Amino acid sequence: MTDLLMAPGVGQPGGVPGIAREPFELFLIHEARLLDARRFEDWMNLFTEDGVYWVPARSGQDDPDLEASLFYDDREMMKTRFDRLNHPLIHVQTPPSRTLHLVSNVVVEQADEAAGEFVISSSMLMTEYRLDNQRLFAGRQQHRLVKHGDTYRIAFKRVDIINCDSALEAMAVPI
Amino acid sequence: MLDGSAEAISGLIEPGRIHRRVYTDADIFELEMERIFGRAWVFVGHESQVPNPGDYRTTDIGRQPVILIRHSDGGVRVLLNRCSHRGARICNAPCGTMKRLTCPYHGWSFDTDGTLRSVPMPEGAAPDFDLADFGLAVVPRMEIYRGFVFVSLSPGESSLDDHLGPMKANIDDLVDRAPDGAIALDAGMHRYVYRGNWKLQIENVLDSYHVPFAHVSTVNKKGEQFSRREGDEKGAKVVDDGQRTSAAWKGRRSYVVSHGHGWTSNTALDDSKRSSPAWNAYVKALAASVGRERADEILTPRLHNSLIYPNMSVMGLNIHVRVIRPISVDLTEVNVFPVRLLGAPDEMNARNIRLLNVTHSAASFVQTDDLEIFARTQMGLRSQMTEWVDISRGLGAEEPDRDYNATRESAMHEMVIRAQYKAWLDYMSEAA
Repeated sequence: MTDLLMAPGVGQPGGVPGIAREPFELFLIHEARLLDARRFEDWMNLFTEDGVYWVPARSGQDDPDLEASLFYDDREMMKTRFDRLNHPLIHVQTPPSRTLHLVSNVVVEQADEAAGEFVISSSMLMTEYRLDNQRLFAGRQQHRLVKHGDTYRIAFKRVDIINCDSALEAMAVPI
Repeated sequence: MLDGSAEAISGLIEPGRIHRRVYTDADIFELEMERIFGRAWVFVGHESQVPNPGDYRTTDIGRQPVILIRHSDGGVRVLLNRCSHRGARICNAPCGTMKRLTCPYHGWSFDTDGTLRSVPMPEGAAPDFDLADFGLAVVPRMEIYRGFVFVSLSPGESSLDDHLGPMKANIDDLVDRAPDGAIALDAGMHRYVYRGNWKLQIENVLDSYHVPFAHVSTVNKKGEQFSRREGDEKGAKVVDDGQRTSAAWKGRRSYVVSHGHGWTSNTALDDSKRSSPAWNAYVKALAASVGRERADEILTPRLHNSLIYPNMSVMGLNIHVRVIRPISVDLTEVNVFPVRLLGAPDEMNARNIRLLNVTHSAASFVQTDDLEIFARTQMGLRSQMTEWVDISRGLGAEEPDRDYNATRESAMHEMVIRAQYKAWLDYMSEAA
């Protein structure tokens, strides 16, 4: 499996032959809907116990240990993040954001069926509305998914938003 | 319309209060750009950001675009990022490497010290045109302290040494933590903007009163913040059982010196219990470099945040250097640079970088609530019926501190903000 620490390139056209993208696409759609519903704990539980969520702060970044990132959360950090998001006095979410994710251009980049491991790339748009302001995030996502019963778990998720190195207004919810 | 006279400016600041126009009036903002950012020593970057000849970074002094660049002689220069011909900004990227700075408009080409080397079609130049008259403007004053590059646009400003005074010890406090005795600000940066005046972030840096309220969402049921330092089990106890500010938090102090600078004493944390593989390896590396006794001294926390007025702060808890960049009267950019301690184990630097994502990225747990508050304050200050902002807490209770040669007061009070406005008034009362 490719190391998702490397910035995404353009993979094989059509993805891995013989592996249908639909189950993965449905998984990513489900993931996006959990975020839009603010079911953050359920979203967190899509990750493996050692799963990691990474949003680099620079285009082409390849090592979260050497540079600042917007998000670089393991499960423990996600839990702290969501405890805070559930706090009644989280000012930056009073009122809360409303988000809408679109996930598209889903491609199975790599598959190891024996090991039950897959790398899926996709494009995402997240529209966020809060307090009379609407803004748009666009990015390329890469998920390393592992088979878990008849569904998947996220071992690693990387989102490269195209304006990751711009001066951003406060972000409170995952991309 | 404010006339800009010393009398008009001084009417905006009273002993325990500030007029709302100081935050909302675009004319005052223009005067600040001229009289504060056009004169004071301001931080523009760190030598480690431009290690090799031709390496550059772009930033602003106030709103004026500048280039911090390493020249072929090994020295650092700060040049105006503005072609001496027709004014185009020459460097567009946040950082990079160039042998020559070439203007995209008509191809004028400058050396890395700003000297104009060539002009296309020189046969068309005016008879008295001399390349020597058209170098990129070099900032009049530049001085460096332990790699921190400061500039002043005013040739008459006193030395950086005078300006920093006791604050050099606060920079030392950070830099001495590196086993090699030097730091690098080369680990990327966090960038954000908020819809509020730049001074709201400056005031907030040393405001400990707000923490149990503005940051209440970072506190667990026991009143403790999440763990923000490598090797700690838990964070500082900020709130007591009765949902009031904890005794430990209340005990913190703030200090001010000249020029609006100041700092707050360290967050109460249990240093004796601090332990993790990364932390222990780091302590060992530091002790190997400076000796056990000195290492203990360096690692006994003394400072939480230090403010070097008007545009930077150094944080001792989640180590970083923060730069405040005014854009307009109600829009401000903040840049937060992680610190790499040279000579420290990679794992320790990685932990510091990761913890800073959590406390000070645009998506962090701590800074986002501050940004929300700054924007709300700017909105609130639109109200014209209440003209004054109150900063009177602890007024008259200030006392001298002989250890630091500073003035001391409770960190729950507003002495530090009053000191900032004393400096503000000093700069603003005098035409540049």
